[in-house]
Amino acid sequence: MRASRTRRRDGWCAAAILAVSLGGAWPLHAAESSDPVPITTADLKGIPTPSADDLAKGDPAGSLTGTAGDIVMADPKAGLTIADVVNQIGQNRIAINFVWTLVTGFLVMFMQAGFALVETGLCRAKNANHTMMMNFMVYGFGMFAYWVMGFAIQQGGSAGITNLGGMAPLNGEFKLSLFGKDWGLFGTKGFFLSGSSYDVGVMVLFLFQMVFMDTATTIVTGAAAERWKFVAFAISTFFLGAITYPLFGNWAWGGGWLSQLGANFKLGHGYCDFAGSGVVHSVGGLTALAVALIIGPRIGKYNRDGSPNAIPGHDITMVLLGCFILAFGWFGFNPGSTLGASGAGNLRISSVAVNTMLAGATGSFAAILYMWIRFGKPDASMSGNGLLAGLVAITAPSGFVNTVGASIIGFAAGFFVCLSVEFVERVLKVDDPVGAISVHGTCGLWGVLSLGLFADGTSNYGGSWNGVDGSVTGLFYGDAGQFVAQLIGVCTLVGVIFTLSYVCNWIVDVFVGQRVSAEAELEGLDLPEMGALGYPEFQLVTPGTGHSVDVGR
Amino acid sequence: MQLLALMLLVGGWMIAVGGLVASDALAVRLILASLGLATSLGGIATLTSSYIQNASWKKGGALR
Repeated sequence: MRASRTRRRDGWCAAAILAVSLGGAWPLHAAESSDPVPITTADLKGIPTPSADDLAKGDPAGSLTGTAGDIVMADPKAGLTIADVVNQIGQNRIAINFVWTLVTGFLVMFMQAGFALVETGLCRAKNANHTMMMNFMVYGFGMFAYWVMGFAIQQGGSAGITNLGGMAPLNGEFKLSLFGKDWGLFGTKGFFLSGSSYDVGVMVLFLFQMVFMDTATTIVTGAAAERWKFVAFAISTFFLGAITYPLFGNWAWGGGWLSQLGANFKLGHGYCDFAGSGVVHSVGGLTALAVALIIGPRIGKYNRDGSPNAIPGHDITMVLLGCFILAFGWFGFNPGSTLGASGAGNLRISSVAVNTMLAGATGSFAAILYMWIRFGKPDASMSGNGLLAGLVAITAPSGFVNTVGASIIGFAAGFFVCLSVEFVERVLKVDDPVGAISVHGTCGLWGVLSLGLFADGTSNYGGSWNGVDGSVTGLFYGDAGQFVAQLIGVCTLVGVIFTLSYVCNWIVDVFVGQRVSAEAELEGLDLPEMGALGYPEFQLVTPGTGHSVDVGR
Repeated sequence: MQLLALMLLVGGWMIAVGGLVASDALAVRLILASLGLATSLGGIATLTSSYIQNASWKKGGALR
C-alpha cells in the first residue's frame, strides 16, 4: 500500500489480456498452452452482443448482462475499438481497488463502535457517558486534525501507489541529505485536500488513512478513562492526529526514512508494517502510556504500600460485543491494507484475512489459558484483550507470513498481553483501566518485531516492496537485515514517538490541565464533564467511598 | 529526573540510528539497535520511577 512500493509491469501483452477477458468461452488451458494471438479491432466488431429485444425480456440467468455491449465507447459511431477495451480494463482494475479500499475503510470506521463498547464496558457506570463521548468525538476531532495537516504530513510525498491510480498529486516529500543519503521526514502536499490533491485517488487514500489514524487516537481514551478532562482530551487528540501519528506514518508508509532503510542501508526491505502494528497500535499505545503517566492513577487504584486494587468495569457483555465488532472490523484493517484487490499480488488478501482471524483466535486462546492456569478462572475481559492482542500483533506481519507464523504470533501476543497488564499495573504502577497500553503498545511492538522473524519470503506484491526487489523475508527464513530494520522501527517508536507524545501532553497538562478534580472523579465524570448521566435511572455509588451521584443537582 | 529520562529515550534512538552510519556490518547494527532500545526502555523506566516517587498514593491520599 505504500508509496515507495513499485509495481513491475506484468509480462502479458494487451492482446492476451483481451483474449482472456473477452473470450469467456475459451478453455483456460488453451490460453495457457498457446502463444497469445493479437486481436484486432475487426475481431471486436464480430463479437456478438445481446439485442435490445433479448435484453427487454429480462435476464434471470445473468448471462446477458455485462458483455462487450457494456463497454464504454469513445466514439459510438466508430464502434468498439481496442483502445476502448484496454481503457475499460484499466478503469475496471482501478474501480475494483477503489471499491475494495473504500469498503474496507468503512469496516475500519466501524471499529470505532467496537472501541467505544470495550472501553465503556470496562469503566464504571458513573463514567459511561464520558467514556462513550470521548470515543464518539475522537472521530471528529481526529478527522479534523488529519484533514487540516495530518494527511499531508503523512502521505504528501507518497506518489506512486499504482493500485489507486498513481497518486501523482502527492509528490512533495521534505528530505534531509545526511551521510550521503536522503532522509524523508514529512510530506508537503495535500493540506486541506485542496489544490491538486482534489483527486479521486487521493480521496480514497485519505478516507482509508483517516480511519486508521482514528484507531490510534481512540486507543488513548481507554488508558486515560475515568479521569481525563474532556477539553484536554480534545487538544491531545488534535496533537496526535495532526503531528505525532502522521510523522511516524510518513516514515513508515509515506516514503520516509524508515521505509528506505532497505534501499539506503541494505536492511532487508526497510521498515515494513503491512497494516500498522507500529504505525497505528504502537503509536496509540505509547501515547496512551505517556498520557496515563502524566494524568496519574485513578483514586483508589493504589494503596499506600503500592499494591493495586481491582476496579471492575460495569458491563462485560458490552466489552465482549465490542471485541467481536473489532475483530470484524479487522477484516478491513489488514486485508484492506493492500489498497486493492486487483493487480499483481493483491489476491493475497485471502491469506491476509485468514492470518488475521487465526492470530485473533490463538491470542484469545493463549490469554484464556494463562488466566485459567494462574487464577483458576477463564477471565472474560482478558479473553477479549487476548483476542485484540493477537489481532494487533498480526497487523504488521499479516501480509508477509503464513498461517503457522500467524498462529504463533497471535498465541505469543495472548501471553504477552497478560504479562504486560500485570507489569504495567504492578511494576510501572501505571493505571490503565482497559489494558490499552499492553494490548496496543506491547503487542504492537511485538507485531513489528515478529514480522522481522516470521516473514516467509513468499509474498511478492508486484515484485518489490519499499523500492527493494524480491519478497519480504524475516530472520527465520534467512534475512537478518529485515529484523534489524524492524528493531530500528521499534527504537524510533519508543525513543521518538513516545517522547514526542509525552512532551505534547505535558504541555497540555501545564496550560490546560489533564486531570479532572478529585470531586468530579469521585462523583463520576458524567455530570461534571458531560452534564448528563449515562444511566440516569440508577443510583450510582462508588464502592468503598460512600460517594454517590447527586442526580438532582 | 524527567529530563534525564527524556535524554535516555532520545539518546537510545540516536544510538540505534547511529549504528546505520557507523558500520555496514549487520552484527554491529544489530548490537547498536539493541543497545539503543535498551537505553530508551531505561528512559521509560526512569520516567515511571520519577512519577512513582512523587505519587500521591504513597502519602496516603490517592490524588496527585
